[in-house]
Amino acid sequence: MTQFATRPWLAAYGDEIGHDLPEAVYPSLAHLIAATTKAHGKRRAFTCVVPNGMNGSLSYAQVGAMSDAFASYLRHHCKLTPGARVAVQLPNGLAYPVAAFGAFKAGCVLVNTNPLYTPDEMIHQFRDSGAEVLVISDMFADKLAEVIPQTMIRHVVLAGVPEFFPRLPEAIVRGVQKVWTKSLPPVPTLNVPVLRIREALKIGRGLATVTDWDKLKSDDLALLQYTGGTTGVAKGAMLTHGNILANLEQVKVMGGRHMTGQDCVLTALPLYHIFAFTANLMTFFDLGARNILVPSPRPVQNIQRALENYPVTWITGVNTLFNGLMNEEWFAAYPPKTLKAAIAGGTALHEAVAARWQTITGTRVAEGYGLTETSPLVSFNPLDQAVRVGSIGVPVPGTDIALVDDQAEPVAPGAPGELIVKGPQVMRGYWNRPDETEKTLQNGWVFTGDVAVMDNDGFLRIVDRKKDMVLVSGFNVYPNEVEDCLSKLDAVLEAAVIGVPDAGTGEAVRAYVVQNPDVADVVTKEDVIAHCRKHLAAYKVPKSVMIRDELPKSPIGKILRKDLKAEARAEFAKGV
Amino acid sequence: MLTELETTLLGVMMMVIMLGMGASMTPRDFLIAFRKPKGIAVGLLSQFAVMPFLGFLLAIGLGLSPALVVGLLLIACMPGGTTSNIFAYFSKGVLALSIMMTTVSTLAAVVMVPVLLSFYGGLAGVSGDYAIPPANVAQILVVLLVPTLLGMVLRKLNPNIGATVELIGSFVGVLVILFLVVTWVPRNYQLLLDTAPSIYLATIGIGLIGMLFGYWVARGLCQDTNRARTISLETGIQNGPLAVLVITLSFSAAMQQDVLLIPVLYSLFIVLTSTAITLWYRRSATREALARDAAKLGT
Repeated sequence: MTQFATRPWLAAYGDEIGHDLPEAVYPSLAHLIAATTKAHGKRRAFTCVVPNGMNGSLSYAQVGAMSDAFASYLRHHCKLTPGARVAVQLPNGLAYPVAAFGAFKAGCVLVNTNPLYTPDEMIHQFRDSGAEVLVISDMFADKLAEVIPQTMIRHVVLAGVPEFFPRLPEAIVRGVQKVWTKSLPPVPTLNVPVLRIREALKIGRGLATVTDWDKLKSDDLALLQYTGGTTGVAKGAMLTHGNILANLEQVKVMGGRHMTGQDCVLTALPLYHIFAFTANLMTFFDLGARNILVPSPRPVQNIQRALENYPVTWITGVNTLFNGLMNEEWFAAYPPKTLKAAIAGGTALHEAVAARWQTITGTRVAEGYGLTETSPLVSFNPLDQAVRVGSIGVPVPGTDIALVDDQAEPVAPGAPGELIVKGPQVMRGYWNRPDETEKTLQNGWVFTGDVAVMDNDGFLRIVDRKKDMVLVSGFNVYPNEVEDCLSKLDAVLEAAVIGVPDAGTGEAVRAYVVQNPDVADVVTKEDVIAHCRKHLAAYKVPKSVMIRDELPKSPIGKILRKDLKAEARAEFAKGV
Repeated sequence: MLTELETTLLGVMMMVIMLGMGASMTPRDFLIAFRKPKGIAVGLLSQFAVMPFLGFLLAIGLGLSPALVVGLLLIACMPGGTTSNIFAYFSKGVLALSIMMTTVSTLAAVVMVPVLLSFYGGLAGVSGDYAIPPANVAQILVVLLVPTLLGMVLRKLNPNIGATVELIGSFVGVLVILFLVVTWVPRNYQLLLDTAPSIYLATIGIGLIGMLFGYWVARGLCQDTNRARTISLETGIQNGPLAVLVITLSFSAAMQQDVLLIPVLYSLFIVLTSTAITLWYRRSATREALARDAAKLGT
């Protein structure tokens, strides 16, 4: 593919950003963790903050020692061999880095798992990955009885939200969970051993330290990162140590001088998702900076104490999180003073949200683009350039992209085409799914399924998901564009747009909107349509408008159009 | 009557309660609340305009003796009690509003309580030995502000200690009432039997009527039902232990007994009435939520 052989976007890097990706410093994440924990010793690596402000912290040295103990536990007590899969199903908290880093040091493969999964989803993911050890939140222990017998899991380790907090706050948070919110179910009796993570670490400390991680190479598997939850059956993207290391280097190069070891990053997005895993956990850990972990950002009020009590310099988030924060009075009235910039990803950042963020915080929200299959970052907005509204930025160093048509042929300059990506961050394929791999990965190029256009200077804009496009009388309508328009209405909190069958036009645009509770005006269907008429070509204007109290969302807050489509399909099947 | 040791103990416990109340919020929360002062204004209105006036009407209407009038007026003028936050939580009310109202009314109490007390006291003809010197009340309240502010700063500086102190504070709040029950009731058993029904009526009535008015004042000023219920509980639930403390620090041992009667009885009964009202409010809140859901499905 020679469409952009000269990488026209390099000019946009400016003077600050190097054109080439620096040589990898470490062969594996285990090497990185060992070196970093040694270099930064007593500095705080992680602080977990619960909604009432109670908190616990781990220093770099503590994370190093605890992950060593966990690695020993996995290898010598659970008898795992290098390459074995360890599933970690935890909300953000201090136990997460201990378990994940322990797995890397044991030479094992981390299987990130969403704590909110149903037993069916858990069974699918554990069987598919062949996980042998499961580290799970004690809040979801009740699911184990159904799940464990149907999997290959031999050992279960439980961790709590206040794990590794000082004793008194830990006891109080646990007491509140037990008595007040009743969110600690009893642990069922299983035919496999169940330990709390403190006990596992105690066992591990009594065993020999694992040292053979130094044999890990960059193309060894580090993660099975399941994806496709928003499109179909989940499949595990095989990400190597080299993939993640390359990507965090790419993040650092793009962040430039704005990312240092003195930074403090707010991690409200879940670490089991690739965005926060690479951008927050690995990148800022590598820098020697501090991660502020928020176990659950919903309701968004849960983030208040974390932002109030720590000098947060970076925030990573998705459109809905930024929108939610700005609708909180405590945030809008007192935005964090120490903030340098925010990184948006996961889903399109709406123009209105980006503009308001800039006004309220006085800092940039730089949109990036990525996918699980690319560890995830593909493109990012250079921070030292003027804001390019609606752009996902330029490809990160060492990355090639092309825009292609349905025959995988490059499209004409400036025309929309499917974005395909090649670079050191691209996965090895899907775990045990050669057919799916073949469809997505061709000659090292990942087919993203996203339609994009490129400006003359290399800035990319995502037009939409290829399969979300609505075909109205032969015209392409991209839901993002309509949603962007809808979100500019004050009375609209958030919006989603899908296509529904239509006798006249084949497909018709349907909008779902949520009333903004802070605005006195009541959102009406007529207003919505009138607003769209003013700003959009006639064929893009929604034919029907549904007013909802909320929209279906994925765990990181992406609005799930597929759920709305399924709902609409059911509705049309009934012949309403 | 309370012994000196008991009075000291009560004072210390009040300090802990106030420390805990302060620790339930940060200075920032406070500033944020004042950006939209309407809810707080409504709360203050029902707390310091409605309640004292109701207390005064009850005192006059029931023809109470001067000692009892002082006790009743004092209870009516008190700021919100910290236990109201627990009731607000269980009634599915607006917890943040409840915490804020308690704190703001406690701060405002430094000025409001002495002023209201001397105004209504004068109106009800309380004089001589029974009149509580305003400076005295103000002094006690100012002393109690110190732990409140300390608690706020503590919460900001060390959230772990702050949240722990908050928790201890609410436990002590319940403990103080138990303490009153255990130390005072058995010794005054006969007194309780001899107490006239009108006194019980005043004691229970001030809380209940306060809640009723609190609700409708809030509704009248355009607060939604959920906020109105929170304001209602906040209005009816007064800081009884604080009133007890003020009395023990202001009256000689011989006079304490009669003046203490209503505040102590109030502290005991308010737990029962608030529990009943909370259960009722909780049901209303659930019913309204279900009705909203049903309305959504219907459209």
